[in-house]
Amino acid sequence: MNRTAPRLIERIDLLAALDRAAAGKVTIISAPAGSGKTSLLRAWADRPGQPHRLAVMQVQRDQHDAQQFWLALLGAVRQAVATPSHAEPQAATPDFNEPAMVDRVLSELAGQCGRLILVIDDLHELTSPDALAQLTRLLTSLPGDVHAVLTTRRDLPLRLHQLRLAGELAEIRAADLRFSERETRELLDASGIALSASGAVLLHQRTEGWAAGLRLAAISLADHPDPERFVAEFSGSDRTVAEYLLAEMLERQPDDVKDLLLRTSLLDRVNGELADLLTGRPGSERILLALEDANAFVVSLDPERMWFRYHRLFADLLRLELRRALPEEVPALHRRAAEWFTQHGHVVDAVRHTQAAGDWPAATRLLADHSFSLTLDGHTQTIQALLQEFPPGADQPELALVHATVDLVQGRLDEAAAHLAVAETYAETAPPDRQRRLQVAIASLKLSLARRRGRYADVLDQVKFLASPVTGQSDEDIALDSDLRAVALMNLGTVEAWSLGLPDAERHLREGAALARKIGRPYLEVGCLAQLGFASKVRPFAVTQRRCREAIALADRHGWGAEPLIAPALITLSGALVWTGEFDEGERLLDRAVQALQADTGPDIRLLLYHGGGTLQAGRGRDHEALEKFTMAEHLRSQLEGSHALANQVTGWLLATQARLGRPGEARALLAALDDERAGSGEIRNACAVICLEEGDPAGALEAARDVLDGTAPVIGYVTAVEAHLLAGLAHRQLGDQRAANKAAERALALAEPDRLVLPFAITGSAALLEALRHETAHAALLADILDVLHGSSLAAEDQSSSPPVEELSPSELRVLRYLPTNLSRPEIASELSVSVNTVNTHVRSIYAKLQARDRSSAVQRARELRLLSAGRTR
Amino acid sequence: MRVHLAPLDHGVMDPAPARYAIRIHGHLGATVLSAFPALVPQRYGADTVLTGLLDRSALYGVLAEVEALGLELVEVRQLTPHRKSPKSGDSRSP
Repeated sequence: MNRTAPRLIERIDLLAALDRAAAGKVTIISAPAGSGKTSLLRAWADRPGQPHRLAVMQVQRDQHDAQQFWLALLGAVRQAVATPSHAEPQAATPDFNEPAMVDRVLSELAGQCGRLILVIDDLHELTSPDALAQLTRLLTSLPGDVHAVLTTRRDLPLRLHQLRLAGELAEIRAADLRFSERETRELLDASGIALSASGAVLLHQRTEGWAAGLRLAAISLADHPDPERFVAEFSGSDRTVAEYLLAEMLERQPDDVKDLLLRTSLLDRVNGELADLLTGRPGSERILLALEDANAFVVSLDPERMWFRYHRLFADLLRLELRRALPEEVPALHRRAAEWFTQHGHVVDAVRHTQAAGDWPAATRLLADHSFSLTLDGHTQTIQALLQEFPPGADQPELALVHATVDLVQGRLDEAAAHLAVAETYAETAPPDRQRRLQVAIASLKLSLARRRGRYADVLDQVKFLASPVTGQSDEDIALDSDLRAVALMNLGTVEAWSLGLPDAERHLREGAALARKIGRPYLEVGCLAQLGFASKVRPFAVTQRRCREAIALADRHGWGAEPLIAPALITLSGALVWTGEFDEGERLLDRAVQALQADTGPDIRLLLYHGGGTLQAGRGRDHEALEKFTMAEHLRSQLEGSHALANQVTGWLLATQARLGRPGEARALLAALDDERAGSGEIRNACAVICLEEGDPAGALEAARDVLDGTAPVIGYVTAVEAHLLAGLAHRQLGDQRAANKAAERALALAEPDRLVLPFAITGSAALLEALRHETAHAALLADILDVLHGSSLAAEDQSSSPPVEELSPSELRVLRYLPTNLSRPEIASELSVSVNTVNTHVRSIYAKLQARDRSSAVQRARELRLLSAGRTR
Repeated sequence: MRVHLAPLDHGVMDPAPARYAIRIHGHLGATVLSAFPALVPQRYGADTVLTGLLDRSALYGVLAEVEALGLELVEVRQLTPHRKSPKSGDSRSP
């Protein structure tokens, strides 16, 4: 626009003040619009030769959405830190765990080395109180080499008095930012403006050193034929500084520039194409670039200088002027902008402009069509803000669908159901072009609702739409369909796994994961995989473990390791580890799941959490703690409307724990209340056996366990049979029949061997039973492991990274190795394995060498550390 | 997208609207005044006083607009109290 553009000047005093402030933790620049906050920060941070890295984020206008705020902040930090990592770019999630997100930002900050300056510009635009509270936490726990600078138009309710008392908080306010006479002079000189000394003083007095005023004046003065007259007239006017100078500045622009500024002022960000569209003529990009070069309140948002935004005060004044000068064109401009944003996939912007144009039905359709995908993209709070912009009382029945979508994500199940009912009634009479789309969306939401409520029978009714092929539709339809289908498959597979125990569960979850991967929805892929571990529970525990670990690793890569989404995999893996006696590692995973589920109160997932906790405590022999957890789990089970895969185990172990704590009467009372079907299950039969044992009735216990032992009672899995054999063994022992007791215990060991189960022996208190069997068992290594656990040590989880590499043992060496913990002599081992003593000797020498062991006991010790004694663990 | 002043009949939850005078330094031109459609401007010396009937949320909307436009706020005053204070004459017993 102007040949001689006004330049930013070096405000040495302020830069020094910022340098001093940066010695503390936090600097707040709090001053009204146009005070030059952002310019100062840019000048300070961009000085060449700075030893720090810079993370800058600009808060969006009217940011109600805490999640989007934190995502942007995390993105800025990651970009600044730019550590080469395998982490995927952080993607939004429908669930949002704000404290976990703050932890993630903190850990990124703690992980980087060297000094980092974190800049948050225009913080006053953040209107989420939760986000402000969490920001306080971030600011008060910044790592030592991180300094934060905030700019805001007004003081914010950040509780930083601790920092202030500690001298870690510096504030720069409006009075500090005001230009001095000398700086005014420098600014004019730097812009090549020839103005007398008295003229400069006059300009300074009139603007009171207000940065925006001086910059606006400089733009107008730059090619003014008579600068002295300009200043004199300005000084003589009593209009407000900004309005006077804006009018002067616009007046002096060529018509196309003025027109572009006015018409594009209603955009929060603009690019050349969009500006061409709104002005109806080409060449806008050139004008925008020239405006930025002239430092005329236009700044580019990306290094390629494609997108621009206007200084906010400047944009607000331009918008007012647009509405005054071209009022009849405003709705059409919004409509054109909305169209462009829709075509380019910027749905939120498109909805906002459609609303601003007053096209409420169109805005409703747009929002209804995209609300599902928007929640998957983590825009739930943004949708809520958009919903509030609709005029009250306007009859937009499709909005009910949007409300239901938001309700579901936020766990308000009753409200979701009510809104869905409204949407459903409307869908019946909707125009044909809307009907199918609405019905698919409604079906998918009902599926989610049914799953969350544990109303599993309803789920199967809702999935019929999965069968309808995706053909003959627009790309948008297909995208929506794909999102809905992937979520439906996830919900369906989950319900099949948890409730109905259908073998289809695995297939549906795999299909869902594959579709999610194909359509670029990693969140849904992780969601499907997180459930897959449990769906495969009939497989060896090793498979369950592997699947859970894969799902957790994928979630970690995306930064979702603390999201509710991954909790099923954490709990399932914890369970698999507890079953094999690795209590410490199981507990760590369970603690992680508790963190991830802080904000989730769904009875389905909390049931698992309590059941897992109870199992762990029972395994450790802490029956009181176990009883507490099992009682909670049972309470939640009773709230579910459908049956749950683990229901009988939950109830059975509650009863057994009550009995073991010397309250068999209470257990009997609960038992009596069960219907025949549940009472006949293997898990409840086992509980009944425990009660009999505690009542001193071993014969009754044997009778109770009989159906489980002969395989006629329905069971969750073979683990129930292992437990039954142990209870039978305990009953035989009470009856004085040691031979039968040994036989039962040996049978339990044989069943437990492939998965190396430890838990049933711990829960049933079978230590004495096993001790008696020590020298007679074919499962000596497992027995030794189990006794280790029963005597109070958790088996160490395998941690191969910390162990020095070991030359791999051959299969025959492994077979010999497993006899080393026993009391068998080498000839006895040879006869057990049907090989010669020489062969055993050779293997033993080789084992010692490979394990760098001196003798039998140190070899066993080392083999335990390396987890070589467990079958099925040789990888 | 800035939300403009809500129409006055909008704030059902608010206490009754009251008349406010908002004094701003400088003379407001047509552009800036268009941000305050519900208020009547009047010049007093070097200041402009905007007067109008505002409920609570409308008042804060006006103040936010004053802030956004970088105007210098001098004074906010309520002209008619919305709660009736007991009149000394009425309470006197005959």
